[in-house]
Amino acid sequence: MEKTELLIIGAGAAGISAASAAWDAGCRDIILTDRLPYPGGVLPQCLHEGFGLAAYGSELTGPAYAARLAERLAQTGVRFLPGREVLAVTKEKTAVLSGSGGIEEIRFERLILATGSRERTVGSLALAGTRPAGVFTAGQAQEMINLHHWQLGDRIVILGSGDLGMIMARRFTLEGKQVLAVLEQGESYGGIARNYHRCIEAYHIPIFYRRTIREIHGMPRITGVTVENLESGERELLCCDTLITAVGLVPERELIRGLEGKPWLSLAGNCSRVHDLADSAAAEGTKVGSLVAGQLLK
Amino acid sequence: MKSYDVAVIGGGLLGCFAARNLCRRKLHIALLEAREDVCTGISRANTAIIYPGYDHKPGTLKAELCVRANARFDALCRELDVSFSRCGSLRVSFGEKADAVLRKKYENGLLLGVPGLRLLSGEDAQRMEPSLAESISSALYAPTAGTVNPWELGIAACENAAANGAALFLSTRVLGIRRTEQGYQIETDRGHFSCRAVVNCAGLQADRVQELLFPSPVHIAPDAADYLILDKATGNKPSHIIQYEPEDGGKGFNAVPTVEGSLLLGPSERENETDFAVSAAGLSFVRERAGQVLPGLDLNDTIRSFAAVRPNPQRPDGSSIGSFVIEHPGLAFWSLIGIKTPGLTCADELGRYLADKLAAELGAEENPAFDPCRPGIRRARELPLSQRAALVRENPEYGEIVCHCEEVTKAEIRETIRRGAVSVDGVKRRVGAGMGRCQGSRCERTVMELLAEELGVPVTAVRKDGPGSEILEGGHGKN
Ligand SMILES: Cc1cc2nc3c(=O)[nH]c(=O)nc-3n(C[C@H](O)[C@H](O)[C@H](O)COP(=O)(O)OP(=O)(O)OC[C@H]3O[C@@H](n4cnc5c(N)ncnc54)[C@H](O)[C@@H]3O)c2cc1C
Ligand SMILES: Cc1cc2nc3c(=O)[nH]c(=O)nc-3n(C[C@H](O)[C@H](O)[C@H](O)COP(=O)(O)OP(=O)(O)OC[C@H]3O[C@@H](n4cnc5c(N)ncnc54)[C@H](O)[C@@H]3O)c2cc1C
Repeated sequence: MEKTELLIIGAGAAGISAASAAWDAGCRDIILTDRLPYPGGVLPQCLHEGFGLAAYGSELTGPAYAARLAERLAQTGVRFLPGREVLAVTKEKTAVLSGSGGIEEIRFERLILATGSRERTVGSLALAGTRPAGVFTAGQAQEMINLHHWQLGDRIVILGSGDLGMIMARRFTLEGKQVLAVLEQGESYGGIARNYHRCIEAYHIPIFYRRTIREIHGMPRITGVTVENLESGERELLCCDTLITAVGLVPERELIRGLEGKPWLSLAGNCSRVHDLADSAAAEGTKVGSLVAGQLLK
Repeated sequence: MKSYDVAVIGGGLLGCFAARNLCRRKLHIALLEAREDVCTGISRANTAIIYPGYDHKPGTLKAELCVRANARFDALCRELDVSFSRCGSLRVSFGEKADAVLRKKYENGLLLGVPGLRLLSGEDAQRMEPSLAESISSALYAPTAGTVNPWELGIAACENAAANGAALFLSTRVLGIRRTEQGYQIETDRGHFSCRAVVNCAGLQADRVQELLFPSPVHIAPDAADYLILDKATGNKPSHIIQYEPEDGGKGFNAVPTVEGSLLLGPSERENETDFAVSAAGLSFVRERAGQVLPGLDLNDTIRSFAAVRPNPQRPDGSSIGSFVIEHPGLAFWSLIGIKTPGLTCADELGRYLADKLAAELGAEENPAFDPCRPGIRRARELPLSQRAALVRENPEYGEIVCHCEEVTKAEIRETIRRGAVSVDGVKRRVGAGMGRCQGSRCERTVMELLAEELGVPVTAVRKDGPGSEILEGGHGKN
């Protein structure tokens, strides 16, 4: 069994920052691991600009931001093990990893969980109607379009106006698709103002507040949704061939179920709480990384 | 024209098990299924309970088959390498009328020889299952009740039939049936089949398939039902199947801790609806009942909802039929019409029953080469670490996790495709990829790429489930 002083699970903005900061603080025995074959977490699929204002003083794209983080990581002696899924963490302070190279067990002194978040799905909304093809979560669509250049549909409805929903509304528009509506149950958009101005306003994308979807129509492919006006209770059918749901992120903490509060465990980034900005996830990683390194060196 | 001894129409649970059991005889079997995969109809959406059998009238075929099927279920699932959880069931009541119903069911169960039944007080039931509401007045405990994944079972039966020589014809819809000197000629959208015997297991269409040649005295009047699924990590999940016996004679309700670890809640009941679309009112009913029976559940942990369709059998006068309808309108022509609960429990027994009847009619001998065993898909997550490591050394794709929620590897997904999955949902039905809390939002893309690679089609041609369900643009829209 392999041993390490500090194991960090998840090489997104938070995990890389934690690893780099722990190295800078003097810890010399660090393993950073991720299921993806490359570092950066969700950043490489975020092609738009708007990252790094706080950390680097300039507006970077997601991939450029990830590249900076990776550069910093490369200057350290952190052992980076990509392409490994952590299957389990035990209370005996071991982690089980699975990758095409084999099954590995790693014993650690301290663990930083930086596993990010996952998206809430349309399934959790338990909408009435059919269960057709043509329904995607925003992050899933972002990955398919930005990293794989797949075409999802032409007439798009987006449920939810958080940052991801608004960014995807612009993405589809730039791809030449028609975004028929961004629907938001609240009285205002859910994400940050910058994204509203740059994504929705600048492209004249129709956004409707106090609206939700009640029913999905069409089989085998989606043909429309029933939209309810939450003020008047009126419902109308909106025809579309694609539905994108951007209905929230959930911290990804399944690995530490039952281990919460263990003194050897720390959390950083979106798995601790959902951060609007990668900068803030990275900053939290940096803080947690140097803190944990300090405790290890004592 | 293709020629067989028996044509089984319909590849749901009943057709797959009919084919499997017909293979026990020296007979050439063709299984004809209209859709591009098996078990996508009623068999895909139901309550998944393996019933103990105390509900049915002594002396009926239903009672006999259900009690026997339950007793044989461990052996069946071992043969077919399918997970089975004999978790036991608690049927609970909230008042005197329902208490009396439970006592009746208990006595009926004793008559039928259902093992281990116990009537419990409300407190005893609560002690056994702390997640139950305090206001429960009594419970009927049946230790032999259990649950399987219905389509996993049906697909296993189909694979077993195929391994024993049955020919599977998918995307093959039966359009007409004629009598011939040798037996029957079946017209499909993929050509003609001649056969000596017909077994009609066409589910919701079974009455109409019989009417292609004979009158059907039984008519199917479908209605719909809704279900919710809660995440496997949800709190206060019961460890037994919970069945609610209504006080007012109204609708029942079940909570089933599934073999996947999730919690299935439902069904609701809706009249005169024939499609698999979920209704908001149905879901509200399910939520309300769940709150009443299992008040500690957190319904925010819902990961999915779905609808089912019941094939209610009716007489011409509109009255409903409670027994299994097994029609024999002509020589060597058998129809299963409107087989509802406990059709999943009894699928293998019904198949055996039909096979015995047909074998007698056709004078078919035993097939000594019949092998009842079907190896399941090897699941990396079920192996101890040392064996798992060995498997990865043998094939590195057993180390690559594609579905993070259910821990499904690339190698396992490839195997489902080699075994017959042709769509994203087909992969899901065979190995559970996409069934977990993220509902495929993280693995669907890789599953699509693997399907495209294995099937030799562009990714735009990859379907969710069946024709017209192409997931990407460039696939749909053209049809
Ligand atoms: C889908 C999505 C899209 C986003 N898009 C934008 C955007 O366009 N603009 C913007 O400003 N912000 C966006 N954000 C928010 C912002 O980018 C994030 O707050 C920040 O990057 C999160 O960093 P993180 O390190 O906490 O998580 P992540 O970047 O998610 O990194 C977590 C890493 O952990 C790994 N991991 C998880 N579980 C395991 C395991 N069991 N084994 C191995 N590895 C594991 C994952 O593969 C991942 O690489 C987005 C967030 C998400 C979830
Ligand atoms: C809501 C509900 C809950 C249930 N719960 C339980 C339970 O908990 N326990 C239990 O034991 N039982 C239960 N059952 C019963 C069980 O699910 C059914 O008895 C069983 O699934 C019936 O399978 P089937 O093969 O008849 O139907 P299906 O699975 O529908 O199969 C019929 C097949 O025939 C095909 N077909 C139709 N027409 C043609 C044609 N012309 N040519 C070719 N193919 C055709 C269809 O495409 C379909 O694949 C439940 C049923 C329902 C509806």
